[in-house]
Amino acid sequence: YSIPPTMAQLVGPLRKELADSLSSCRVLVVGAGGIGCELLKNLVLAGFKNIEVIDLDTIDVSNLNRQFLFQKKHVGKSKAQVAKESVLRFCPSANITAYHDSIMNPDYNVEFFRNFQLVMNALDNRAARNHVNRMCLAADIPLIESGTAGYLGQVTVIKKGQTECYECQPKPTQKTFPGCTIRNTPSEPIHCIVWAKYLFNQLFGEEDADQEVSPDTADPEAAWNPADAAARATASDQDGDIKRVSTKEWARSTGYDPVKLFNKLFKDDIMYLLTMDKLWKKRKAPLPLDWTEIQQIEDMLIVETLRSQLIEKGEGAELVWDKDDPPAMDFVTAAANLRMNVFSMNMKSRFDVKSMAGNIIPAIATTNAVIAGLIVLEALKILNSDFDQCRTVNLRCYSFDTLKPELHHVLSYLTYLCICFSHLV
Amino acid sequence: KTMTDHKTSKEQKYDRQLRLWGDHGQEALENAHVCLINATATGTEILKNLVLPGIGSFTIVDGHKVSGEDVGNNFFLTSSSIGKNRAQAATELLQELNGDVSGNFVEESPDKLLDNSPEFFHRFSLVIGVQLPESTYLRLGSVLWEAGVPFLICRTYGLIGYMRLIVKEHTVVESHPDNALEDLRLDQPFTELKHHVECYDLDNMEKKDHSHTPWIIVVAKYLEKWYSEHNSQLPKNYKEKEAFRQLIRAGILTNENGTPEDEENFEEAIKNVNTALNPTKVPSGTEEIFNAEQCENITSQSPSFWVIAHGVRDFVRNEGNGNLPVRGTIPDMIADSDKFIKLQNVYRDKAMKDAAVVSKHVEALLQSVGKPPESTSEQEIKLFCKNAAFLRVVRCRSLFSICDSEMVLYLMLRSIDRFYQQHSRYPGVYNYQVEEDINKLKLCVNSLLQEYSLNVNVKDDYIHEFCRYGAAEPHTVAAFLGGSAAQEAIKIITHQFVPFNNTFLYNAMSQTSATFQL
Repeated sequence: YSIPPTMAQLVGPLRKELADSLSSCRVLVVGAGGIGCELLKNLVLAGFKNIEVIDLDTIDVSNLNRQFLFQKKHVGKSKAQVAKESVLRFCPSANITAYHDSIMNPDYNVEFFRNFQLVMNALDNRAARNHVNRMCLAADIPLIESGTAGYLGQVTVIKKGQTECYECQPKPTQKTFPGCTIRNTPSEPIHCIVWAKYLFNQLFGEEDADQEVSPDTADPEAAWNPADAAARATASDQDGDIKRVSTKEWARSTGYDPVKLFNKLFKDDIMYLLTMDKLWKKRKAPLPLDWTEIQQIEDMLIVETLRSQLIEKGEGAELVWDKDDPPAMDFVTAAANLRMNVFSMNMKSRFDVKSMAGNIIPAIATTNAVIAGLIVLEALKILNSDFDQCRTVNLRCYSFDTLKPELHHVLSYLTYLCICFSHLV
Repeated sequence: KTMTDHKTSKEQKYDRQLRLWGDHGQEALENAHVCLINATATGTEILKNLVLPGIGSFTIVDGHKVSGEDVGNNFFLTSSSIGKNRAQAATELLQELNGDVSGNFVEESPDKLLDNSPEFFHRFSLVIGVQLPESTYLRLGSVLWEAGVPFLICRTYGLIGYMRLIVKEHTVVESHPDNALEDLRLDQPFTELKHHVECYDLDNMEKKDHSHTPWIIVVAKYLEKWYSEHNSQLPKNYKEKEAFRQLIRAGILTNENGTPEDEENFEEAIKNVNTALNPTKVPSGTEEIFNAEQCENITSQSPSFWVIAHGVRDFVRNEGNGNLPVRGTIPDMIADSDKFIKLQNVYRDKAMKDAAVVSKHVEALLQSVGKPPESTSEQEIKLFCKNAAFLRVVRCRSLFSICDSEMVLYLMLRSIDRFYQQHSRYPGVYNYQVEEDINKLKLCVNSLLQEYSLNVNVKDDYIHEFCRYGAAEPHTVAAFLGGSAAQEAIKIITHQFVPFNNTFLYNAMSQTSATFQL
């Protein structure tokens, strides 16, 4: 062939100059997960030759339903590294560099970014997106931003001076709850779940002053008058039991005895809350639980498992909560449900608790495939310097229903009557 | 043994997708057997997106041998497979994606199979035909139409993506509508709801209880007041609804100074007046389904969708007094847990009662056509009742229907088919052909226009463009179409969400798409 096989399928539809520049340009892919895997495949098969990919994460079983460059045997390994190896298996001529690292590492400075003609995000969190956005603005490199969640997806092109950047529009902030709601007056399952996660950290992980689980005596709502509030606040500072001895230390002193833990958290602390009677004037009061009435054998075993995990790690060690670690997930499910019970809420299944505790976003192969396809098509326009042809694409994938035009907009510009090919001819 | 569900590795692997289509959706996927014809880039991309989520099995039908060009755009073909049968080569690599899936291949062209044993295709849940010439997809379309097997035609042509769905009848119970109205029955409260509302005496309640009474109860109570002053007529127009809202507002407790207290539940009630008083009725979509011939005439061959529909229809005409079974869910609202749960249970219990009655009708129906009552499960009937207001049936025209509206791209694709018919090749595949093919293709376009008496002017630009495409199948467009087609395939297999009906066109350059019904 006078043209390499990878290009053969493209040279027809694209201008020759564009096809040539694909093999010489350098691109950076940030993220080797759902979108990243599809994107790497698409880039290589579109004729891109020099690709660098970075991801700090390792492979998990729950990734395997869509991150097709990974197999069961790769669980635990670096995503960027395995992605590179898998792609090379199928396209040995590709020149891929993999970084098992965080893009926010200062090593990846403006100079690093200037090495590339194009950066493509395949991220799942706002902090990294903000960071890359600023680096690309500083380096003046075009950025293609994208994201998917379930059936929804989006692709946007960001170029300094030509388009708005990722941070130009304010984005909704993650919901946080006031401390007294979590500690004293939960009214929704999510409050109990957040409490349970805090509890996990207090008992087994890194203790955080912002993640207190014991009753908050300084709760302004509990005070009958301002003087009362001040008095309570000073009292709690001086009161040894609640503030001075850390929860973890106390738990260790009991040997992580499940019965003692249960009684403190779901009986004694609740009874203390009941003494703050102003809180319950307008609310249904919590009901303390009795261990002898409930007798959850399973709960004992979870605490036991976590205790031995902690002991394994050694003195002064801390566990990190992970939704995909069964004992950790079980603990949060149990603790949250017990608390929901105390506060007369309908309890939640482990499946639902996991969704809420783990902030799980559903994900499937098809949406990522579509979005990654669109990313490369935008990339081609960028390399062609066709910024005015770039589009922001919004995907609402679950209905192609012509009968309901308000539901149906697969892409944001439905002008099939004005199809114009000339700019790429 | 711990409390940990002994989650199989499958549940762990599929966790993120189970949250979208549920266990029953996953079960449908795992029971499906999909046929792919032609393991081109588009074909393997579609299949990848079905294998990863765990389709039960697939069979690739392809008589071609792997060429060097194939390797260039297809992730699932390597240079070591050049010369091998394409179906076999692709199956091996696709199989690696998911050990739970069983992959098969048939080294045969679809035309041969159609000649010798067209029944071969009857076994599939869905057939996906990729990059097929017109003669083949017309033949296949006719076989599959008769057999009732859904047929999805896909094509990547240069920078154009195309999909066409042909299925005689596809029923959807779980259409997952965007903005479903609640089923609260406030205009026609059932007995248990009436009794429950009676338990509340808003005028003689402690403030704490008053502010934590569910808004549904509040509206019900004030509706009674309204009825007594308005001849038992629902508030109908804006003026009346506004007056009704004021009536509720006047019920908000005031403190010693006369200022109204902060009663969020009352605010909720006022906000919801607009939708809460919608008259309960059977939606037109569901009515159509009840009146359909398949619902009327139940035989032992009837799919369970129609059997249950008939059962629900019987319910509506008898115990339901013209209404569907109660859905059983209520929205979240400001209330204390105790009151909320009690109210929720009133609706939930009624829904269960109604579903049980429907079950009886269904049982009787099954008996009358000689089928065992286990033919439909409790779960199926409950799901059907819960979604009774959102049922959908999709009927796509067969390929042989005459289309009276065509879009330019579709026209061009049809012209390409015509070209192939006449010249046994696609236009512009080799550079030297591009120039001369332009005129040949133009002739095809014009003859199509004449045939369908279309007075459309097709710009020369299109004809030039399609010649330049040279029937190329760029991976990127194949990837996009792979995702889109697989998504529609999953809808068809799981019977959740509503598939497109029936033609989809994607233009990769302008990033536009269109769906229309031909």
